[in-house]
Amino acid sequence: MIRILVNSIIRGWKQLARRPLYICMMVIVPLVSAWFFFDLMEDGVVRRSPVGIVDLDKSDMSRRLTRNLSALQQIEIKTTYGSYQEAIDAVQRGEVFGFFFIPNDFSTKALSGEKPTLSFYINYSFYAPASMQFKGFKTISVLANGGIVSSVLTTAGMPKEMVSATLQPIVTHVHPLKNPWMSYNYYLSSSFVPCLLALIVMLITVFSIGMEWHAGTSRNWLRTADNSIVLATFTKLFPHSFIFINVGLAIQYMMYVKYGFPLNCNPWNMIAAMALLVLACQGFALFVISLVPNFRYASTICTLLGMLSFSFCGFSLPEEVMYSWISPLGYLMPIKYFFLINADQALNGIDLHYSRLYYVILILYSLLPVTMLWKLRKHCLEPFYIP
Amino acid sequence: MEKKRDSKILGWLLSIVLSMKQEFKHIFRDEAVVIFFVVLAVVYPPLYSLIYNPEIARDQAVVVVDDSHSELSRQFVRDLNASPDVNITAYAQNMDEARELMATKKCYGIVYFPADFETEVMRGNQGHVSLYCDMSVMMRYKAMLTAITNVQMETCSRLQGEKSFNIISMNGGLVDSRQVPLGNTAMGIASAVLPFILVYVLQQGMIMGIAMLHAGSMGRRRRNRGIDRLDEVKATPGAMLMGKTLVHLFYYLFPAIFALHIVPIIFKFPMNGNFLEIAMIIFPFLIASSLFGQIIRVFVNNREGVFLILAFTSLIFVFLTGVSWPHYQIAPYWDVISKMIPAYWASTAYVQMQVGGASLSQMSDFYWALWSLVVVYFVIAYLVELLVLRPRYRAMQLECELDPEALNKHTLFLQGDDDMLNPELLEEEDED
Repeated sequence: MIRILVNSIIRGWKQLARRPLYICMMVIVPLVSAWFFFDLMEDGVVRRSPVGIVDLDKSDMSRRLTRNLSALQQIEIKTTYGSYQEAIDAVQRGEVFGFFFIPNDFSTKALSGEKPTLSFYINYSFYAPASMQFKGFKTISVLANGGIVSSVLTTAGMPKEMVSATLQPIVTHVHPLKNPWMSYNYYLSSSFVPCLLALIVMLITVFSIGMEWHAGTSRNWLRTADNSIVLATFTKLFPHSFIFINVGLAIQYMMYVKYGFPLNCNPWNMIAAMALLVLACQGFALFVISLVPNFRYASTICTLLGMLSFSFCGFSLPEEVMYSWISPLGYLMPIKYFFLINADQALNGIDLHYSRLYYVILILYSLLPVTMLWKLRKHCLEPFYIP
Repeated sequence: MEKKRDSKILGWLLSIVLSMKQEFKHIFRDEAVVIFFVVLAVVYPPLYSLIYNPEIARDQAVVVVDDSHSELSRQFVRDLNASPDVNITAYAQNMDEARELMATKKCYGIVYFPADFETEVMRGNQGHVSLYCDMSVMMRYKAMLTAITNVQMETCSRLQGEKSFNIISMNGGLVDSRQVPLGNTAMGIASAVLPFILVYVLQQGMIMGIAMLHAGSMGRRRRNRGIDRLDEVKATPGAMLMGKTLVHLFYYLFPAIFALHIVPIIFKFPMNGNFLEIAMIIFPFLIASSLFGQIIRVFVNNREGVFLILAFTSLIFVFLTGVSWPHYQIAPYWDVISKMIPAYWASTAYVQMQVGGASLSQMSDFYWALWSLVVVYFVIAYLVELLVLRPRYRAMQLECELDPEALNKHTLFLQGDDDMLNPELLEEEDED
C-alpha cells in the first residue's frame, strides 16, 4: 500500500519536474505577475494628470488664477495653448488629458460682478486621469469663490472662525476605513493578483489531467495508484497544492511585508484563506473536468469563468449594481469567497466569526469533486482524445 | 537570364499562394481555431459589455446614526436618501449597532451626526457630520463621497441663504466654473474601458488562434515521426509568413468590423471616428498581431497550453495600456514593454479616434509605430522560422529516423511513466 502511494507521488513529482511548462506556469508566472501588479501601481494614488491651459484673457487676474491652478495637487499644467482649437488638438493627440479655458472677458466680467465662466475640459476616454482632474476641478470652484469671498469678509472685519462658519456651516469628515491613503494598489492588487493565481491553479489542474488523456497515459496513471481514482487524483494534485500554496504565501509575503498592504487580522487567517483558495480552485477545476471529461471543453470553461471572474466577482463594479442575473455568477467561483474574506479580515479586521461561512464554502469546494470522480475514472479507463 | 529570374519570381509568388491555400484549409478544419478567431471576438465583447453596462454604482446602502435628533440632521438624511448614489437603509441606535450592520454587509457606509450638530450651526459655528466607508470596492466609496459632498454643499448654500449675507446671496460666488466632458461625454466607466478591451480581444484571439494552429501541427509531427502531413508546401520562410499573414487578415475582416464598429453601435458607445481612418490604423495592427502570434507560437507545443498563455498575458497586456492605471505614471521599464505590444498603440489610437474624434493625421505617431512593429516582427518571425522552428522539425525527423518510437518515448518520459520505457533508452533520455 505504502509502495503504491510512494510510486504515485513520485510519478506526480516527475511530471512537474520534467515538463518546463509546469515550473514556468506554477512558480515563475504567478510570482512575476504579482510583482508586476505591485510594482506597476506602487505609487498607490493616481497623481498629477497632465493638462493644458488656454488663457485668452491674459490679464493679471487670469495669470494669478493660472498660478493657483498649477498649485493644485491633482493636475500638472504642461503647456499653454493659444486657442481652444489648439488645445482640443492636443487632447486628441493624447498630449494632455484636459485643459482649462479662460475666456477673453474673464477679468472685465469679474470686476463688474457679472460672473465670468471658467471652463475645464476633461477627456473622459481615460478614466483614471479624468476622475483625478474632476477632483481638481471641484477644488477650483471652491478656491475661485471661497478664496475671494473670505478675503472680502475678513477685510470687512469678520473674525476668522465666523468666516469659515459662514462659508461652510456644515463640514463633512470622510473616513475611508482602513485605507485612508485610498491606495489603488491595496484595493486592486489585493483582489486581482489572487484572482490571477486562482485562474492559473484551475488551468494547471485541468491541464495535468487532460495531458494524461492526450499522451495516452491515463490507464497507467490509474494503474500506478492501484486503480483508485481518489488516490490517483490526490497523489497527482498534492504536489501541485504544495507548490501553489507556497507560491501563494510568497505572494502574501510580498503584499503584506514588502509592499505594506493592510493586514488588520491575525496573519494566520489570511494564510489559511490562501491555502483554502488553492485547494478550492483545484477542487473546482477537478469537478469541471470530471463533469465534462473533455480536455478542450474543460480548459475553455475554466479559462472563460476564470477570466470573467475579474469582472463578475465585483472587485471593481460592486455586485449590487450589476444585472441581477450576472452577480450570482460571481458566487460560483471560489475566488469570490477569498475576496470577501480579504475584505473582512485583512482590510476591515472584523471578527473571524463574520467570515466563517466563506471559509466553510472554500472547504466544501475542495471536497466537491468527490461527487464526480467516478465519471473521471470511467473516462480514464476508456480514454479518447480528439485533437 | 530574364526568363529564369521571371520564373523564380513566379515560383515565389506561387509559393505564397500555396501557403495561403494551406493556411485557409487548416483554419477552416480546426474548430478550436475558429473559436479563437471568430467566436471570441463575437461573443466576448458583448458579454463584457453586459457586465459593465450598469456603469455607475447607484443606491449604495448606508445607515445613519443620529445623536443630534434634530430637524437639520433629518433634512440632511432626507436629501441624502433622495440622491441617486445613496440609499439610506436604516437608522442605527449607536455606532456599535451600525458597525455590526456593516460587518454583516447590510450596509457599506455609516453617516454619523454628533449630539451638537444642529446647536453648533445655530450658534453660528460649524456643524460636523462624519461618513465612514467600507473600502473593499472603490466605486462604493466614490458614490457615497459624491452624494454626501453634494448634500453638504446644498445644505450650506441653503443655510447661507437664510442668513442672507449680501455678498454671497447677491452673487452666489464671483466666478462660475463648469466641467465639459470630452469624448466619453456620458462619463461612464464601460464606455471608457470597453473600447480598449475590444482591441485587446482581437489581438489575443489572433495570437492564440495562431499558437493553436502551430500546436496542432506539432501534435501531428509527434504522432507521425516528425512530419506534418498537412504541411506539404515547400515555401521559403518569407513567402510562408506572408501567405499566412494574408489569410489571418482575411479571417479577421469580419470580427474586426464587428468588434470595433458593430459592438459600439449596439451598446451606444461614443462613435466620433471616421470608419476608413480607423480601418487605416487597424490594418497594420492586424498584420503586427499576426506576426507577433507567429513569434509567440514557438513557446507553445500543446494545444491546451495555449489557454495558459492566454490567461496571464491578457491581463498584463491590458494593465500596460493604462486603462486602470494611467500610462504616464508607469515605470520606464514597463513603458518599454507596453510599446512592444501592437494592441497598446492600436487601442490608444482607436479610443482617441472613435471616442475622442481624433483624425488619422493626429494619430500619425501611432500609425507609424504600428508599421515599425510590422517590420520588426516580420524580421523576428522570419528568424524564428528559419533558425528555431525548421531546425526543430528536422531534429524531430532525425530522431525518428534513428528510433521510430523516440517521440512517443519522450511523451511517456514527460508523463513520468518510466516503467513503460525501455530501460536502455531511458538512459539516453537522461543524458539529453
